[in-house]
Amino acid sequence: MAAPVATLARSSKTESYVDNKRKDDIRQANIVAARAVADAVRTSLGPKGMDKMISTASGEVIITNDGATILNKMEVLQPAAKMLVELSKSQDIVAGDGTTTVVVIAGALLKQCLSLLSHGIHPTIISDSLHKASIKAVDVLTAMAVPVELSDRESLIKSASTSLNSKVVSQYSTLLAPLAVDAVLSVVDPAKPDLVDLRDVKIVKKLGGTVDDTELVKGLVFDKKVSHSAGGPTRVENAKIAVIQFQISPPKTDIEQSIVVSDYTQMDRILKEERNYILGMIKKIKGTGCNVLLIQKSILRDAVTDLSLHYLAKAKILVIKDVERDEIEFITKTLNCLPIANIEHFRAEKLGFADCVEEVSLGDGKIVKITGIKDMGRTTTVLVRGSNQLVLDEAERSLHDALCVVRCLVNKRFLIAGGGAPEIELSRQLGAWAKVLQGMESYCVRSFAEALEVIPYTLAENAGLNPISIVTELRNRHAQGEINAGINVRKGQITNILEENVVQPLLVSTSAITLATECVRMILKIDDIVTVR
Amino acid sequence: MAIDKLFKDDATEEKGERARMASFIGAMAIADLVKTTLGPKGMDKILQSTGRGHSVTVTNDGATILKSLHIDNPAAKVLVDISKVQDDEVGDGTTSVVVLAGELLREAEKLVAAKIHPMTIISGYRMAAECARNALSQKVMDNKEDAEKFKSDLMKIAMTTLSSKILSQDKEHFAKLAVDAVMRLKGSTNLESIQIIKKAGGSLKDSFLDEGFILDKKIGIGQPKRIENAKILVANTAMDTDKVKIYGARVRVDSMSRVAQIEGAEKEKMREKVQKIIGHGINCFVNRQLIYNFPEELFADAGVLAIEHADFDGIERLALVTGGEIASTFDNPESVKLGHCKLIEEIMIGEDKLIHFSGVEMGQACTIVLRGASFHVLDEAERSLHDALCVLSQTVIDSRVLLGGGWPEMVMAKEVDELARKTPGKKSHAIEAFSRALISIPTTIADNAGLDSAELIAQLRAEHHKEESHAGIDVISGSVGDMAELGISEAFKVKQAVLLSATEAAEMILRVDEIITCAPRRREDRM
Repeated sequence: MAAPVATLARSSKTESYVDNKRKDDIRQANIVAARAVADAVRTSLGPKGMDKMISTASGEVIITNDGATILNKMEVLQPAAKMLVELSKSQDIVAGDGTTTVVVIAGALLKQCLSLLSHGIHPTIISDSLHKASIKAVDVLTAMAVPVELSDRESLIKSASTSLNSKVVSQYSTLLAPLAVDAVLSVVDPAKPDLVDLRDVKIVKKLGGTVDDTELVKGLVFDKKVSHSAGGPTRVENAKIAVIQFQISPPKTDIEQSIVVSDYTQMDRILKEERNYILGMIKKIKGTGCNVLLIQKSILRDAVTDLSLHYLAKAKILVIKDVERDEIEFITKTLNCLPIANIEHFRAEKLGFADCVEEVSLGDGKIVKITGIKDMGRTTTVLVRGSNQLVLDEAERSLHDALCVVRCLVNKRFLIAGGGAPEIELSRQLGAWAKVLQGMESYCVRSFAEALEVIPYTLAENAGLNPISIVTELRNRHAQGEINAGINVRKGQITNILEENVVQPLLVSTSAITLATECVRMILKIDDIVTVR
Repeated sequence: MAIDKLFKDDATEEKGERARMASFIGAMAIADLVKTTLGPKGMDKILQSTGRGHSVTVTNDGATILKSLHIDNPAAKVLVDISKVQDDEVGDGTTSVVVLAGELLREAEKLVAAKIHPMTIISGYRMAAECARNALSQKVMDNKEDAEKFKSDLMKIAMTTLSSKILSQDKEHFAKLAVDAVMRLKGSTNLESIQIIKKAGGSLKDSFLDEGFILDKKIGIGQPKRIENAKILVANTAMDTDKVKIYGARVRVDSMSRVAQIEGAEKEKMREKVQKIIGHGINCFVNRQLIYNFPEELFADAGVLAIEHADFDGIERLALVTGGEIASTFDNPESVKLGHCKLIEEIMIGEDKLIHFSGVEMGQACTIVLRGASFHVLDEAERSLHDALCVLSQTVIDSRVLLGGGWPEMVMAKEVDELARKTPGKKSHAIEAFSRALISIPTTIADNAGLDSAELIAQLRAEHHKEESHAGIDVISGSVGDMAELGISEAFKVKQAVLLSATEAAEMILRVDEIITCAPRRREDRM
């Protein structure tokens, strides 16, 4: 930075020479590395964005369009590049969607910073100006936003489908978008209308069929078979369901124990005792009227043995075994029942009730569905289908994004136009604002405004349109006051994007801008990389 | 050569001039490394770990940078140490102390080259340091009597400390957080009762101060999610099984029903234990170890909120703030001190559910929840906030306040210069050198901000020649400004510690005239 400092210093009258060559090199290296990351995901932006195929070290292949997933698997080493990966993760946490957008914006900002730095502007001044510009940008976005009510299902579906349109599963967006909206709305607690815990929406993936067969299940779905070993029932109506955390198997103490068998008759007796012991437990269970058992997986001992399964089948009890402990909370919440940790506590009031529990064949596997649950908790399950594992995984990721979009709308009930319209409007307004400002700040804000044009530019480029003519026309339309003019990728022209139903939540746009700026500022402020233990 | 070999094979010895040079160079290299992080426009460093995972830290905190360096030079290690001590003692000024010590040594190097004996330099430095300290303590402002003014002093100090960190954009917000938190402590410096929780997501501005305590855990299944007037038992006990912990203990039985009996007995034992715990009249039970399904259900049945696997730090703090004690046996309910709080409830921060204890016994306890874009930001924010909290809690005890922005250094330099003029003999050179070293701090601040330091310092010096000047460097506008008007303040204690420990470290390194590196301990070859 020898030259820039010199120019800057000259402006403040006398010369000052600071040898900053190394710092400049490091900053350059950081920016170049970070931009390389941004360029890698750039082509996946927008409805006509391309997908990436990632083959992981373990030989697994992933095809995805989701920025966060791509970056996550890239395993970059350069520290600044790593920060961009983190950035995408943060956007994923905050908004769930726009993970590519945020990285692309950061890349564009860094490109502008590079030229600002070469003009000899001090990094901290750039950093401060960017911060100011981002605050202003959020204001502009908020002013553009249209409020939306949760009862307005149409608008919610529109925004969810905008998110889905850029994914592999875009042709199913008409199916998945309403599904995502319904799923989120069904878990919103009327007592706390601003909070949505996406953990209350369970996504079950099952290979086979097509994405078309994806459905929302009002109830529970287990990607497990009913245990068949002894010909037990596979369908139970008017089910009384117990979630148990104990094991139906021969007793085992925590202290090491051994049974000493000294003669043949004793062996017989032990077998008989074992049988009686299990039978006793099952009788108790049956006594409460329970006819469906969900058994938690146990590492200490077998949750069920063949013998107990046999007896359970005889007692016409449907058994689902190996339920993970993490799932217990979700299950009990859904079934509105309590887990039972000891046979002594097996009482009728702890059971959950459902109209129907049945095993359904799906593709090559089977799943268990519990429907018509009485007093069902505020949870929901989505059963995702797909013709192969890759599609299935991508469908799940896309659905997750769509759910997040709807969640954003629940948190912050504003919609904004999509298709590059907000970015170009921001660019226009900030550009105008920059003219009012003075000094370095004005210069930096103008660069910020220019950087934002990268979104419509990339959208057009990815769609195979002429980016320059599109962006300039867009600019023109916005200058004439059409603040909702955006790129309609499907028609390949500029239209009023709100009318085309391309909308996205405000939160996605605002957080993309603020997070990208924060990350860029952090990279700018770094002047050295120190290797430590 | 009378003695052929004095040391062991691999031991090395460096003498006189060479030894001194080695230590000067090492110390200065360290000082130069952290120099660029000084001041509000200081830059950050990436610390890239060579260990597993190549984790990356971005920081501006001198102590953090120095702590993680690989250092072989003994003199450099001394500097790292003083920075660490500064961090422990006052929490802030960790960079300044190293930079000042580095500058003192740089000056000393020139003096040594001019054939002045190190001891003369040392005694000159000592006089200068004493004089500088007096100058400072004469200029302090103390607003202890006036609570309103004192609070505004605290705000100013917090803002000054934070302005050099990542939090600078929202410094007002965080300064307020820090001041509120420290004011709650009511004079104690026990920062442990201020808990900092980091949650990714949101932006730094969404960080908030919460009275009470937040535990990052989940409430057991089927248990109440909200308790008023909670009586809390904090425990560290095994809630899986009370095993016989003698190795090889085993039970021999001859039939299945016996095994079932033993199992039943074990369950019974657990039940008894749970009954005993519930017998304390509690409605909230926090355990450091796991609570298995069985006891969890018993607690749920009794309507007791049970929290399992609270980490050690968590429960110690919880016991502290709720006024309880950590129990591990439950036979004497009367001897166990229970914790109390007004309300326990589940809250959501970002995507996570946490348990919030409000209205706790120890009124000064509070929690600061930090939100930020990424873990880098959060970690750095925590370090910055910690610095501010340390400084503030120290200021509450020693309420003397100075202006910032290079003002104290200029005041000291002026006094030290006067002293140099009055002192006869070679010592005066050393005293003069001390004053130059002091001025290097504002010089560095100006340099880091990309300002013309030579010009600014000259202006500053002229300003300070007038009586009662408040001039310092205003980095934002890039000129000399009135620090009192700009509200830039620093704690006296920090400055004093910087001055004294830097001088001491410099003195110690100056005294060295021989470095003996011991032979590395030889590893025994694998037998």
